[in-house]
Amino acid sequence: MEIFVSQIMTGLSIASILMLVALGLAIIYGVTGVINLAHGEFVMLGAYAAWFLQTQFGLSLLVSLVPIFILVALFGWLIEALVIRHLYERPLDTILATWGIGVMAQQAVRLIAGGELRYVEMPPALATSVTIFGASESAYRLFILFLALALFALTWCIYRYTHFGLKLRAIAQNRSIASSFGINSGRIYRFTFAYGAGIAGLAGALVSPLKSVSPEMGTTYVVDAFMVVVLGGVQSLMGTLASSGILGELTGYIAFYSNDTIAKALVLLAIVVLIRFRPQGLFAGRVRT
Amino acid sequence: MSPVTEDQLIMDRASVSFSGFLAVSELTLRVRKGELRCLIGPNGAGKTTALDLVCGKTRLTAGEIRFEGRPIHHLSEHRIARAGIGRKFQVPSVFRELSVWDNLHIGHSQQPGVLANLIRFRRNIDAEDISRLAELVGLQADLKTQAAHLSHGQTQWLEIALILAQDPALILMDEPTAGMTAQETKKTAQLFDRLRGRHTLVVVEHDMGFVRDIAETITVMHQGKLLAEGTIAQIETNQQVRDAYLGSGGIGHA
Amino acid sequence: MKVPGKTTSQIAIYAAVCIAILLVPLVLDDAFLLNKYARYLVFGMLAVSLSLSWGYAGILNLGQAMTFGLGSYCMAMALKLKTIPVHTGSDGLPDFMVWNNVTELPWFWIPFHSLAFGVAAGILVPVALAALLGWFVFKGRVTGVYAAIITLAAMVVVQLLIIDQQRFTGGFNGITDLAQFEVAGFAFDAYGSSSYYLVAGCLAVTLFLALFITKSKTGLILQAIRDQEDRVRFFGYDVALYKIFVFSVSAGIAGLAGMLYTIVMEFASPTFLGVPLSLSVVIWVAVGGRQSLLGAMLGALVVTGVQGALSESETFLETWTLVMGLLFVLVVLFLPKGLAGAFEKIAARFERTPPGAVAESTAPRSEPIKSGREIEGVS
Repeated sequence: MEIFVSQIMTGLSIASILMLVALGLAIIYGVTGVINLAHGEFVMLGAYAAWFLQTQFGLSLLVSLVPIFILVALFGWLIEALVIRHLYERPLDTILATWGIGVMAQQAVRLIAGGELRYVEMPPALATSVTIFGASESAYRLFILFLALALFALTWCIYRYTHFGLKLRAIAQNRSIASSFGINSGRIYRFTFAYGAGIAGLAGALVSPLKSVSPEMGTTYVVDAFMVVVLGGVQSLMGTLASSGILGELTGYIAFYSNDTIAKALVLLAIVVLIRFRPQGLFAGRVRT
Repeated sequence: MSPVTEDQLIMDRASVSFSGFLAVSELTLRVRKGELRCLIGPNGAGKTTALDLVCGKTRLTAGEIRFEGRPIHHLSEHRIARAGIGRKFQVPSVFRELSVWDNLHIGHSQQPGVLANLIRFRRNIDAEDISRLAELVGLQADLKTQAAHLSHGQTQWLEIALILAQDPALILMDEPTAGMTAQETKKTAQLFDRLRGRHTLVVVEHDMGFVRDIAETITVMHQGKLLAEGTIAQIETNQQVRDAYLGSGGIGHA
Repeated sequence: MKVPGKTTSQIAIYAAVCIAILLVPLVLDDAFLLNKYARYLVFGMLAVSLSLSWGYAGILNLGQAMTFGLGSYCMAMALKLKTIPVHTGSDGLPDFMVWNNVTELPWFWIPFHSLAFGVAAGILVPVALAALLGWFVFKGRVTGVYAAIITLAAMVVVQLLIIDQQRFTGGFNGITDLAQFEVAGFAFDAYGSSSYYLVAGCLAVTLFLALFITKSKTGLILQAIRDQEDRVRFFGYDVALYKIFVFSVSAGIAGLAGMLYTIVMEFASPTFLGVPLSLSVVIWVAVGGRQSLLGAMLGALVVTGVQGALSESETFLETWTLVMGLLFVLVVLFLPKGLAGAFEKIAARFERTPPGAVAESTAPRSEPIKSGREIEGVS
């Protein structure tokens, strides 16, 4: 029972981080149709921001979450304004441009902060463990889980119940028609991009105490998050939630029982097969065309 | 009328539905070889979808389509094209990044194989044929022009020329005169007159003047179904047709 | 209709560049530099291969290094077995296998005792794999962004497998300590002019082969596919087959480039199949001009050349990567046809406005159509 619970909790912990990263990617892709290959670098920037605020200003991670969200969101806002908005008519080029931006962000961080690994301290209040059904679980991981769920709920409410969300859904359906009804799609795209980036930044900050921080850390996240989005379906937030859960549990399981390299290769193969046979994802009914 | 064996294209109770909506419903249509058939109907009648079904762009949900005696509805698009069916699209659809000459060269698709085309160069083949076609549609001075720089009417004609280069037995035309001036429309009607007999034509058209000029038999579709079929005089006096067009400003303004 | 002498002048320019490249060893007598330049030429060849599939057929292959790396490994396997017994353990096993307690040469290594087999495999393995992947992707009508992601994922899978199967592939270290490439008793010294000529000669042949393809009707149809894939089908062309063809040819060229890279570098490494190299190829081609074979090649030479010149200092190199990233984004934004496209535009302007002539003869005609990209109707 204990092993079982702890196995599930490990999976949930992985899933919550996956979900945080994938949520931003899914929103951006679902609304703007841009596959943001710089998304991993948004995560990385969030982690570095956490490290910077902690080492330079002695801010605890919990306090710095809000400024980090704003900072990375601002960065996303800038990227959209400077680059992405020129490329909506050329989807293939958005991959290239975001890839280039990712390289630049990595390189800039390497030049400024150095290439060595950085470490961020866990908030002392959460550096304990909690016992659930006999299994001991890190309080910090539980905190991430709840925060991830809260952020998801918030995003879902925005999407479903606000006027802004209505515009979002309209644009995601058909940009030109939405525009002809007076919806300023440019502004909405920029907000979306900034919001997605901000959440990615939060994800980065939250994982920073669990893993070492390095300029390349984003790359793995973008692949896994992309898998979540492909599996969950582009248009479906609930799909993102479900597929993060599935993948988190699976990854936890595979990592526990087998070889990491092969697990990675299998994830990629699954992406390939999924794109080929179910480009609309497992949970969504229709494809964006 | 003519015996069944002469029918080149047969749509037999063809139906297609898009997530529950029946765009074409049990449509039965027979077109004789060499005939010029006009397909008319109010907006949303399923005319374009009917053409899509024949050329393979959209797949049947039920029914059958036979071309020259062979069922074709399960074939892939390029196989349908090779069987001898050409399609002109409603929004003129040419290769905008390529020159008029290159466009026509591609339209000339009697030899569709990858390797066969590897040893064909623009210099040594099809040249005469292509010049002749360009002249036919009045583009002989624009052979080097990039297709993106043509006017709307010229683009329409370029696509028509592409289909002629392809030289299919059956040509499906979706609103060939859309966006053309009266002068251009007249010229198109003359061109179609010359094609009659050599090619079978199925033309979807809204311009009733144009239809009157060219049509032998007219098929009227309404809400995905066949409504009426006959000569122009029969159609214009048909009460059902009048009712169908009621509300959309009469048959002339559909 | 007589086509203007554009093709002729293009052939002349290509030939001139190839001759210039072949003449380099006559004026340069530095073994180290020759080796370095030969490496750049290999990258030029890799750029040509990507330009063919991306620039002409619109297939953005983000995993171009996959076929490059496979070619490189095929060559390395053959050259490794040629080192018997110097860098081998007992029973003629490659040294790394001995370290990994492999006792018998695995079956897929055995044919590589023949160098001819190695050379053939270096082209055919990439071609076969590309054809298979192409069939899987293009028959399923996966296009654009999704196809690009698949190529990237496929490459990483192959790379992971090579790293994982250390016993048979040398893992992270790759395959090192190779024999020299030898044909009929003549050895190609990696640091001699012979290897340079070998690379330059192969590059010239590939460049003209690619030019030949793009000038043929097949090349024209590929461009039409890039422009409007759906429309091409209705003329009776099997679009998937055309794409598989160009994807495979591109893979074959990349495989050849990989083999040459092993010859001049004297090792094979899993980094040859890596994401960074793939990204670099895309950058070279984008900067040089994806729709110009020569532009793409020169783009590779210039970018890698500058990179090589800066490589003495770590900081310079890191800054350079940053600058490259910026340049890349700017090119994608403002020069979709790269420097070659910009050059063509300037050349065309000079051509069309002789002194005193009326300008603006090239202005677009009345109301070009806004968007003909989509074929109308339900999609």
